[in-house]
Amino acid sequence: MSPIFELRDVCFDYEHTPALRGLSLQVEPGESIALLGANGSGKSTLLRLLDALCFPSRGTVTFDGEVLGPRLFQRNGPSHAFRRRVGLVFQNPDVQLFNPTVLDEVAFGPLQLEWTREQVLGKVEEALELMRIAYLRDRPPYRLSGGEKKRVALASIVVLDPEVLLLDEPTSMLDPRSQSEIIDLIHQWKDSSKTVITATHQLEMVEDIATRVVVLEEGRVAASGVPAQILSDQDLLLRANLVHAHRHSHGALSHSHPHRHSHTSHEHEH
Amino acid sequence: MHIPDGYLSPSTCVVMYVGAAAGWYAALKRLKRVLITRMVPLISVFAAFAFVVMMFNIPLPGGTTGHALGVTAAAIVLGPSGAVLAISIAIAIQALFFGDGGILTLGANCLNMAIVGSVVAYAGYRAVAGTAAPTSRRRVIAAGVAGYLAANASGLASAVELGIQPLLFHNAQGAPLYAPYPLRIAIPAIMIGHLTFAGLAEAVLSAGIVAYLQASDPGLLEVALGSVSAEGEKTAGGGQRWNLLRRLWLVVAMLTLLAPLGILAAGTAWGEWSRTELTQHASHPAIGGGSSMSASAGLQKLTELWTAPFPGYAPKFVKSPSFGYVLSAMFGVGLLLGGSLVLQSWLDRRRSTRPLG
Amino acid sequence: MSGFLEATALNLTRAIGRALTSEEIARRRGLLQALDPRVRLLGVLALVIAVTLSRKPMVVATLLTLAIVLALLSRVSLATLAKRVWLVVFFFTATIALPALFVTPGRAVWRAPVGAVQITGAGLYTAALLVLRVETAVTFTTLLVLCTPWSHVLKALRSLGLPQELIAMLAMTHRYVFLLTETAGQMLESRRSRTVGALRGALQRQMVTRSAGVLMSKSFILSEEVYQAMLSRGFAGDVRLLPDFQMRRGDYAALAGVIVVGVAAVWWGR
Repeated sequence: MSPIFELRDVCFDYEHTPALRGLSLQVEPGESIALLGANGSGKSTLLRLLDALCFPSRGTVTFDGEVLGPRLFQRNGPSHAFRRRVGLVFQNPDVQLFNPTVLDEVAFGPLQLEWTREQVLGKVEEALELMRIAYLRDRPPYRLSGGEKKRVALASIVVLDPEVLLLDEPTSMLDPRSQSEIIDLIHQWKDSSKTVITATHQLEMVEDIATRVVVLEEGRVAASGVPAQILSDQDLLLRANLVHAHRHSHGALSHSHPHRHSHTSHEHEH
Repeated sequence: MHIPDGYLSPSTCVVMYVGAAAGWYAALKRLKRVLITRMVPLISVFAAFAFVVMMFNIPLPGGTTGHALGVTAAAIVLGPSGAVLAISIAIAIQALFFGDGGILTLGANCLNMAIVGSVVAYAGYRAVAGTAAPTSRRRVIAAGVAGYLAANASGLASAVELGIQPLLFHNAQGAPLYAPYPLRIAIPAIMIGHLTFAGLAEAVLSAGIVAYLQASDPGLLEVALGSVSAEGEKTAGGGQRWNLLRRLWLVVAMLTLLAPLGILAAGTAWGEWSRTELTQHASHPAIGGGSSMSASAGLQKLTELWTAPFPGYAPKFVKSPSFGYVLSAMFGVGLLLGGSLVLQSWLDRRRSTRPLG
Repeated sequence: MSGFLEATALNLTRAIGRALTSEEIARRRGLLQALDPRVRLLGVLALVIAVTLSRKPMVVATLLTLAIVLALLSRVSLATLAKRVWLVVFFFTATIALPALFVTPGRAVWRAPVGAVQITGAGLYTAALLVLRVETAVTFTTLLVLCTPWSHVLKALRSLGLPQELIAMLAMTHRYVFLLTETAGQMLESRRSRTVGALRGALQRQMVTRSAGVLMSKSFILSEEVYQAMLSRGFAGDVRLLPDFQMRRGDYAALAGVIVVGVAAVWWGR
């Protein structure tokens, strides 16, 4: 099976600071990848490159055999085809909710892709039902809670039924219940034929959502492997700034060593 | 200032809408050419910024506060076309959604604050800043000066619009139907507030924002329309300065054209409201001094037009033929300048659409 | 002294508060809410034009009565209108119109016992007409805004012929006004809490202009991200919206009624 995404030596500069320095990666169709890395490691930039919102200064990004570049998006046909097949959910839902009501928001994508009115309305209803937000249909975005905003953002992507889902920190700033709902959703996608790439720095959910883990460090792939393998490599995690080592106490004992705080309890071995 | 409904006659509102529509059309066309896809999010967010900034209370010297328009900051960072649209949209939102400001007077408010404000702000800023580096102190001063000028220009425009209402729209007994104060009251009343609070607030805000951007994000100060590019859109840097020059000339042209008309209106208003005029009528005999010039009859007629409405007790120089000639000359120069600008832009458009090679 | 910070914060919260009450009223079942939004828009426009064209205070007062009736039939309480419109408008307009009582030339209807102060009949007429006009026009406009959700206003404007870029910009601006207002409010709050004691003038100004500068930078970043979010969902320069409204018989009747009322008012008040 040929890879659905192929990145070769990709470099990208964000305002004269290098964000990606010679990154190479292959993504197979149907994979569910957890993209790990501290803030500043290049996760968001990578997702934007995969969604063709910007193009590399050096190297190539290929989607399904075609190199992604500005010329490809100058014609409506290929541009629409790509936009439909790949969807990106931004970390900050406010940038993604720019329409007057939830209904308008979910309908935006299909309308831009020039579906007919009936198609649009039908698919929108499905997406609203799927994300269980039909009751928010006429709400304006500034009256939505954080969790609701995330679900609307997801609905607006899901309505297009993309093959590839790119998620940038999908659980950030959410309460525990909303977080677990999102995790369940990604879990479902993992078991489907969709390709999912989730950027996160929350290690706890990685095992639930990923078949492969890719660790980014300073704009390059530092490691790639199955979750069990990566998550047990403490040195790697420490280097990549995904775990921390600070002094903490257990009753009378006080020490410092690499560990992470999971959402259930703080556990480690001595 | 935002003029509410009821202060301007419907015909004034229509004229203002036509003027504003011309400004919107020009700005939209120019922006679409340069920023095809980025225009909508950029202008919208900036309009939202302007809306919010209009609600800031800006502390001024002397312990007072004032409100700024934000039009100068918008013009500096987005260029005049972007500022015209962004401020107009902010004003429209204020009127349509928050009920601040009239809907019939929307055209007038946009013309005064968004269009006149942006053009004066941009021209003033570029004139004072000259070729100074983006991070130089001169730019901060330029922003302050431009802000002061822009606030006062838009204040003056609204003052004139309000001040000519009683002149043009009154009932048979002479009672004004809309804004009740003639130019000689409206202009000082409104301008005092602008020359002090509003002008200073806008100056303080604009200078402060430029100073802040110089320290934190100087790139934004070079975002004149041409260089905001995405996906390989061509930059129009060369055209930038040329347009500025043309804009300055346009301002000059309009001023020279309008000044005689303004003085005419003032003179007539003066005549209407002075106590002695209540008994006499506004029609005065032509120039008393008799013309010793052998000027053509047409020019003489024009001269009479300017000077006739002034009442008998007006200062001598106002009634003299020379003053009339000066006014006629201004009017003529204004016409010529305006005409040549129109001709120039028509020629340019023809040149650019002709295929190369 | 930080009075200006409080004043600004007050302005910001008041703006939001008004927006939210509008929403609530727009959802009530009343006369105006039942009409097609286009009819509402055109109707209010026609009535405001009629108000502006009438020369007799009596006629304008009648139109004001009509506005009050419409308000009551649309379940808008007079208290709401008084608080939002009448008191503020009266205060400002009366202040402006007061001198006109004395300054407008005409026959005197009252002379001061000392000095040359007099109130003329023309002055009374002008002042009364101005105050009535402004009150009535703003009442009509406010009713429109209170009874119509913003998305409907936009769609009505679109279907009445305004260009789609303009509609898109109005929509997006409105949406982000709330976000920026929140951001500005938070910034000001944090500055307030960090201010110990009174500040001198120049520092005060610096505080405000720095907040404005930060807000502008954030605005740019926001616009950049929104742009990318739009691209990601297939936006290529033309904004497409969901058309919505159907005119019913009642709508036509209402429109006809408004035109009749407007013409009658103008004719009677000429």
